[in-house]
Amino acid sequence: MPTVEAAAAVVPGRPVGAWTIAWRRLRRDKIALASAGILSLIVFAAFAGGPIAAKLLGHGPDDLFPYAQHSLKPVGPWTQVPDTSIIESLVPDAPPPKNVGTTLFVLGADGPLGRDELLRVLYGGRVSLEVAFGAAFLAILIGVTLGLVAAYFGGFVDSVISRFIDLVMAFPLLLFLVMVGYTVAGDKFARITVHGVFPQGVVSLVLIIGLFTWFYPARIVRSQVISLRHQAFVEAATSTGASDSWIIRKHLVPHVLPTLLVWGSIAAATNIMLEAGVTFLGAGIRIPTASWGTLLSSTWGTVANPTGYDPTTFSAWPTLLPTVAIFVTVLAFNQLGESMRSVLDPKAVR
Amino acid sequence: MSVGWRYFLRRILVSVVLLWVLSVITFAIYFTIPQEPAAFLVDPQHSTPAMIAKARHRLGVDRPIATQYAKFVWRALHGDFGVAYEGLSFNANDELVGTHVGSQVIRAAAVTGWLALGGVVLVIVLAIPAAMLAASRAGSWLDKTLLAVTLIGISTHPIVIGVVLQTFAGNRWHIAPPSGYCGLTGQTANFSSPFDNNPVLCGGFRDWASHMVLPWITFALFFIALYLRIVRVRLLDVLGSDYIRAARAKGASEARVLRRHALPNTILPVITMLAMDIGTAVGIAVYVETVYRLPGLGRLTLGAISGEQGFDLPVIIAVVMVVGAAIILLNLLADALLAVADPTIETRGARRAQAAGRVI
Repeated sequence: MPTVEAAAAVVPGRPVGAWTIAWRRLRRDKIALASAGILSLIVFAAFAGGPIAAKLLGHGPDDLFPYAQHSLKPVGPWTQVPDTSIIESLVPDAPPPKNVGTTLFVLGADGPLGRDELLRVLYGGRVSLEVAFGAAFLAILIGVTLGLVAAYFGGFVDSVISRFIDLVMAFPLLLFLVMVGYTVAGDKFARITVHGVFPQGVVSLVLIIGLFTWFYPARIVRSQVISLRHQAFVEAATSTGASDSWIIRKHLVPHVLPTLLVWGSIAAATNIMLEAGVTFLGAGIRIPTASWGTLLSSTWGTVANPTGYDPTTFSAWPTLLPTVAIFVTVLAFNQLGESMRSVLDPKAVR
Repeated sequence: MSVGWRYFLRRILVSVVLLWVLSVITFAIYFTIPQEPAAFLVDPQHSTPAMIAKARHRLGVDRPIATQYAKFVWRALHGDFGVAYEGLSFNANDELVGTHVGSQVIRAAAVTGWLALGGVVLVIVLAIPAAMLAASRAGSWLDKTLLAVTLIGISTHPIVIGVVLQTFAGNRWHIAPPSGYCGLTGQTANFSSPFDNNPVLCGGFRDWASHMVLPWITFALFFIALYLRIVRVRLLDVLGSDYIRAARAKGASEARVLRRHALPNTILPVITMLAMDIGTAVGIAVYVETVYRLPGLGRLTLGAISGEQGFDLPVIIAVVMVVGAAIILLNLLADALLAVADPTIETRGARRAQAAGRVI
């Protein structure tokens, strides 16, 4: 197989770019294709599937259904629940009113409050994915800028930026995320929604995760650009009078882009974990906004507000579903990252 | 070697500066949030302004921030991190009494330290032999199964692993205590749940180990999965090199090649990576301590951040300094180890960048 590939690559007059080679390799990588497919499905389900399902089922992710639990134990999957969303006030502990219809809970309810678990997993996915993508993007933006500048200009600039990177690295990441999440971000940034585009808390989580993880891409970019800076093609560009910004944009960025794609994919996986973790620790997304983190903590409580294990009200579904959602997404991002790593490495023999 | 010494001397100096900046930033974050430390000492709703002013004065928070910071640095240099705000009171002689942050942090650090140490032992004992097994049969069903299992270990949230283990092994099957901590020496009052008002006194090796079993497993699972993959890839890398072919050509058995020739070249970088992963380890320790209610550094900080009266600055800054120092120190150690194993600085940089690629 490799010989055929090599032969195709040396056909005169048809130079094959690194991206084309990578694409050809990617097409043959079944795991990468499966991961990409699953991810697009998840993204579609999270961003479009939530509203569609809500429309079809006739209730929303935050609607409370008092009859979707029996003595605080949430109903299981595929249950018809009395549709009480239209009734203004309910008598506590009374049997459900006769004159209302029922509404379907496909995956059951989320806990004693009786919200639709499926809708919450879908809407929560949107929040978790927005945090994951947003924070990875912000980290790459800051990291690439600082890493490129440090490596390209060297000397004093490099020293300053490198020490800055060392500083952020020495931060106990999670402790700081929680600290900032509880204080500054919790008070001032949590309400930023950019005119309702993002659910509450997303922007602040993107900011704090992005601001504490940019040093990873910065280090990667810096070490790569340092090894590229004195290579012939850069010197050739300098000797023909290319400006710094031209060299950075046209010659250096394309070289670090593959690595950043790989990092971005793996960072998205990490950020999903971080969102769940920080929320569990009480400093992330706040209830009632659904996210995979708040869904996990709806059963187990957060640090400030723990829920003990109670066998009478325990139901595995509300833990299982967000866990599976996180698991599949993280796995797909990690696998895609790993596949891209081997696919985008021009030296790798396949 | 003199160049190497100078390199490390510079790194140590930089580390001291880093720690200093870390403390400045923690102070800065603290002073951006509006709050009243005097609330820890007196009830602001039922006190006269004079009482509040007195409390503020005794706490030293009425002085300018720069003065407060200078006092903190001066005392910290003498090993004194002050007294925690939480639990402060005046005694009969009108003196301020409370828990010393130093002893609080040392006690919590011991718990986190035991957690991490046991976890690392589990990782080394389990991940390396499993990786050797997988690498020696690369491509077999055993190799593939092990790799698939590690994927689960990497992609499942540590909190979920903890909660599931706790619910089933702890609460349902009663294999090990589901939560709480017992000191290795002396007696600990152990509150097994947040709703528990009657602590059980426990202590000694058996109680200690039984309470640590589930936390150790939870802490180690992620790293076992991660390191199994890393060590396997490295072993496969090494097994393809010329000197291994030479060893095989001279008639060394496959087991001997693996143990005597391939493993030594893999083990040092792995231990180095473990040292560099301390940041990740601290994060996972926070999750584990929260799930199992272990009184470690993570729980200490969370309590100090989310307390009713607000931020307990002396505790938080002490934890940040201790954890920051540990991260810096272990990174330094990792670099020193790598320098011994591999004297060329270029490869060191590349390896560090490689290690930095994966995060939590």
